[in-house]
Amino acid sequence: MDIIILALLLTAVVLVVRGVSRTWVVVTWLLALVLMLGLFRYHVTSPLDLSF
Amino acid sequence: MKSFPRLLFWAMHLWVLAYSGVMLGAFTIQFVGGEFPCPLCMLQRYGMILSTIGALWIIMQARRGELTAVRYAQGLGMGVLGAAAGALVSVRQILLHIKPGDPGYGEPVLGMHLYTWALITFYVVILFVAVVSMLAPVGIPEAPTRAGAQRTISTLIVGLFALVVAANVIAIIFLEGFAWVLPDDPTGYNLLDQLGL
Repeated sequence: MDIIILALLLTAVVLVVRGVSRTWVVVTWLLALVLMLGLFRYHVTSPLDLSF
Repeated sequence: MKSFPRLLFWAMHLWVLAYSGVMLGAFTIQFVGGEFPCPLCMLQRYGMILSTIGALWIIMQARRGELTAVRYAQGLGMGVLGAAAGALVSVRQILLHIKPGDPGYGEPVLGMHLYTWALITFYVVILFVAVVSMLAPVGIPEAPTRAGAQRTISTLIVGLFALVVAANVIAIIFLEGFAWVLPDDPTGYNLLDQLGL
């Protein structure tokens, strides 16, 4: 999953630099953000043993 | 305030350069110090890259003379969202190690762990975006019109960031190998182990 996220981020960087398509930049960027948050959710396996 | 748009243009470069430096520092710790990044560490790098793409978006459109107030706002929004996502991960990692006696993950740098420094950088980005957004009526970034040293410096900074992101892609292929996710506490390069090298 990390490879996919970083590949998407690199794609977004290349699209921004080459000025290919603003729509595709936003789509790629958003997809990377959603996958990143999903992966974060996956890695949060237990509640914190803390009390505030 | 005629020079303000130009100042903003270079401030965006400072953002790109700063996060490129932070990620190069993380590489130094990984390759020289032999500390492998944990899954949460990598997620914070993604937050940094997502955030920096916002600044890159502004720089490249300013260079092409296509930057409008709407696109400027779009770039700043990407910057804040990326920083907020990264900060979410940093806070989780800080809270995992917040109890007294917990040594934390990895070696501290200048007295604080990398995830604490990461949170500080995310807050700096959010504050920076807040300030430049408030100052938007004064001006939006404007690139030098003629080719010359300034354009070359701009290209070098953009190129450095692209190289750092590409290096992260190569590093994660070696770290993750054929697995879907990174192990919680990585101790080597999965790909080399899986290939028996």
